[in-house]
Amino acid sequence: MTSVVTTPPRTTGADGRRDPRTTGRKNSSRSGFDRVTVEWVKLELVRVAYATRGGFLARRDPRAVLGWYLVCALAPWLTYSTPALAVFFVLSLACALAARIGPLLLGLFSLGLLGQAAYVLVLVLVLGGSPAAVDGLVQISLKLGAISLVSMAAFVSLDPEKLSDGLQALRAPAVLGFGVSYGYRMVPMLIDEFQTIVDGHRMRGAPHCGHGFLGWRTAARVGRIAVQAFYPLILNTAQRTRTTVEALETRGFSLTGSDDPGRRLRLAHLRFTVADAALLLVTLTIVVVTLAVL
Amino acid sequence: MPAPTTVASTAPDDRRTDTPAIEVRGLTFRYPGAAQDSLHDVGLTIEPGDFVAVVGGNGSGKTTLCKAFNGLVPHFWNGDITGRVRVHGRSTARRTVGEIAHDVGYVFQDFGNQLVRPTVRGDVSFGPLNFGHEDWADRTDRALADLGLSDIAETHTWQLSGGQQHLTALAGALALAPSVLVVDEPAAEVDPRRAAVVYDHLTRLNQEQGITVVVIEHHAELIARYARSVVLMSGGRVRWHLPVREALARREDLADAHVPDPPVVALGRALVAEVDRGERPVPITVDECVDLLRSVVRAAPDASAVAEPAPSGAMPRARRRGALVARMVGVEHGYRTVSGDRHTVLQGLDLDLHDGDRVALVGSNGAGKSTLLSVLAGLAVPRAGAVEVDGRDTRSVSAATLADTVCYLMQRPEEMFLQDSVRADVAMHPHGRGLPDADALVERVLDRVDLTRLADRDGRLLSGGQQRRSTLAIGLAMRPRLLLLDEPTSSLDLRSRDDVIGMLEALSDHIRCTVVATHDMHLVAEWASRVVVLDHGQVIADTDPRTLFSSPDVLERARLVSPQVAQVGAALALPELPLTVDELVRQVRTIEELA
Repeated sequence: MTSVVTTPPRTTGADGRRDPRTTGRKNSSRSGFDRVTVEWVKLELVRVAYATRGGFLARRDPRAVLGWYLVCALAPWLTYSTPALAVFFVLSLACALAARIGPLLLGLFSLGLLGQAAYVLVLVLVLGGSPAAVDGLVQISLKLGAISLVSMAAFVSLDPEKLSDGLQALRAPAVLGFGVSYGYRMVPMLIDEFQTIVDGHRMRGAPHCGHGFLGWRTAARVGRIAVQAFYPLILNTAQRTRTTVEALETRGFSLTGSDDPGRRLRLAHLRFTVADAALLLVTLTIVVVTLAVL
Repeated sequence: MPAPTTVASTAPDDRRTDTPAIEVRGLTFRYPGAAQDSLHDVGLTIEPGDFVAVVGGNGSGKTTLCKAFNGLVPHFWNGDITGRVRVHGRSTARRTVGEIAHDVGYVFQDFGNQLVRPTVRGDVSFGPLNFGHEDWADRTDRALADLGLSDIAETHTWQLSGGQQHLTALAGALALAPSVLVVDEPAAEVDPRRAAVVYDHLTRLNQEQGITVVVIEHHAELIARYARSVVLMSGGRVRWHLPVREALARREDLADAHVPDPPVVALGRALVAEVDRGERPVPITVDECVDLLRSVVRAAPDASAVAEPAPSGAMPRARRRGALVARMVGVEHGYRTVSGDRHTVLQGLDLDLHDGDRVALVGSNGAGKSTLLSVLAGLAVPRAGAVEVDGRDTRSVSAATLADTVCYLMQRPEEMFLQDSVRADVAMHPHGRGLPDADALVERVLDRVDLTRLADRDGRLLSGGQQRRSTLAIGLAMRPRLLLLDEPTSSLDLRSRDDVIGMLEALSDHIRCTVVATHDMHLVAEWASRVVVLDHGQVIADTDPRTLFSSPDVLERARLVSPQVAQVGAALALPELPLTVDELVRQVRTIEELA
């Protein structure tokens, strides 16, 4: 099992923040990919994918975590009461923070949720909507927010081994479990590959000529590089996987089909403890009470 | 399904039978859709307990043959096949690849892609778990312990160094307790020192557990040191299978397969007539060569009498320096690890690069070579200290602007291919800058590296040597003052390697300063005019190659190995340390004449 390295919650620990290049040097003409630290994004993604931050869910049995997720993700759909949804949202937020989802995911989430709510609100007001429409808007935002938060909390807490074991224990096809864990393995590789390609463009592409109005030139350049990186990224990855497919054959992966001989052995270490049961029970109780009362 | 076995019962004695470990009879194979056979009427017998090196040029069928041993040919690659392959007397035709994997373990050349699970332990236990072996945990622990990986068992595979990844892939194969191990080019992607670690493990498994080892290899030095017999492939056939000493004496055959003489063999031939005529066995280790040459260099006369000026000229350290091209002052740089700690790679590093320098940057893996290059190229800005290239602080200009003066060629050539043809990749920089004569420049550069014919192909589909030439072309078209190359000769066969060295030689009139980060001590000896030795992010020596190879303490500290020629020269106590076979031969001849 993965060793879970617990780091103190770090919201400003990014490499880039203390780096001289982002502390606003006046004479710096660096911009776009020259400034954004791909390195920091990469570390964040890896921390998220491999559950290196710990958190209350990381200690639980993967089946319990998946069960918890199922309950929490379904509950918001069963009500139209704004107070109940607000309770769910607040609890989800608390869970997400307790599961230590990290600044990157939280930032992206807030940006997405608030951005969407804001533009729909503007749309509603411009098109002459009523206060009832605003209520509906708040409801759907709370629903989506709560579900996103519990998804993040659950998957940040499951490292790839745990997730694939959990899926297999719940009788999901072995290929799904493997696919998930292999996908995770590819994450750092893809990021590295992407970073190299971006570096190539930084060195060999046309130099930027000013930021333009509201930085549109920089935005266009970053966008163009991101699109152009796709083709080399996919080709290089495809070349790597040729060997992987042959290796899987020699390592007996094709046996993990119908009567998988390794399934029992692989799952023997899973223990569904009292604490796991308690987690599910408490969650269910809170959901039922909230739905009944509000 | 093979019956689950226990590891403890696989004692070596069970395998020492008269049945060959691998027996190939009349094997002909053609890949689906290919125009010609990859293997043609191959016959080969490998005895149990042998340590075999398979050599041959590119496309000679080495890898296909080895994939026939573990059943990937024909079970995975369904081509046209005739003939038979038997492993321990059992035909591979009626067994599955999974069953054969319990007899034949396989480590691929790009071993990193063989690892499929997130952690080392998870990956090693992957095979035994899939096959449902009750003792999978014991097998895993044993394989990890056998290769000294127990300490890093919980590490994520993407955090490992190349050498550790290779050992993990090997452990994954070992966990199935095979009696034959096939390793495809163990030295291709790791530095020689790390390749030696893999070879030492293979030798131990071979001697202590009686495992038959088959390697594909083209480094003659490694073959001479570790293999017991050699199989030469050419044009899809096995030319011969001979004990290693006889094999290394067949100079012409090996030269055809792009396996030139190891330096010790070349020295023996050049200086001892009986060896050249085949009347005495060739020396295959440094010690044997020294013993052999002692008889020739019996009485080394007074050293001062032979102090003829070496052809390249001993480079005095305080020679006149050209104009300053780049300067690093008190540079500190590092990165943050996943657990949040900061890992310092370069600390307090000062370095001046001058016009006309041909700098080799050496040091073990993790010494900071690549980081130094990316800081010089402006891809990274140092956390402290200053980097000035051509009079400009790298903080004040963007990487793209800096690229007009500095060109950084990355370690893996496929990372340099951003477009869909070699020509477009070469043209990317000149076109982006809107140079008026960009097209003419591109054609000139392509012609220079002899790639005009292949210019419209995708760089990723070229061979290793061609890819390396393409990246050099990309660099040339940028017309830099400072050229930075990361490991330009790694994973190249020796002829392509010599091509690259020759090309570096030819570049010197266009580029003011070249810095090459390398593990290849032959490249250092043959090409560099200055060597900078890095250790733990600091410069521990800045000198010329000859001085470096005569400083055992520096070599030891930076974990470098001097080239065989220098080792022989040092053991013979020659007046001046030779760097090439020719230099050593010339010195010995001079001594003979004086005597």
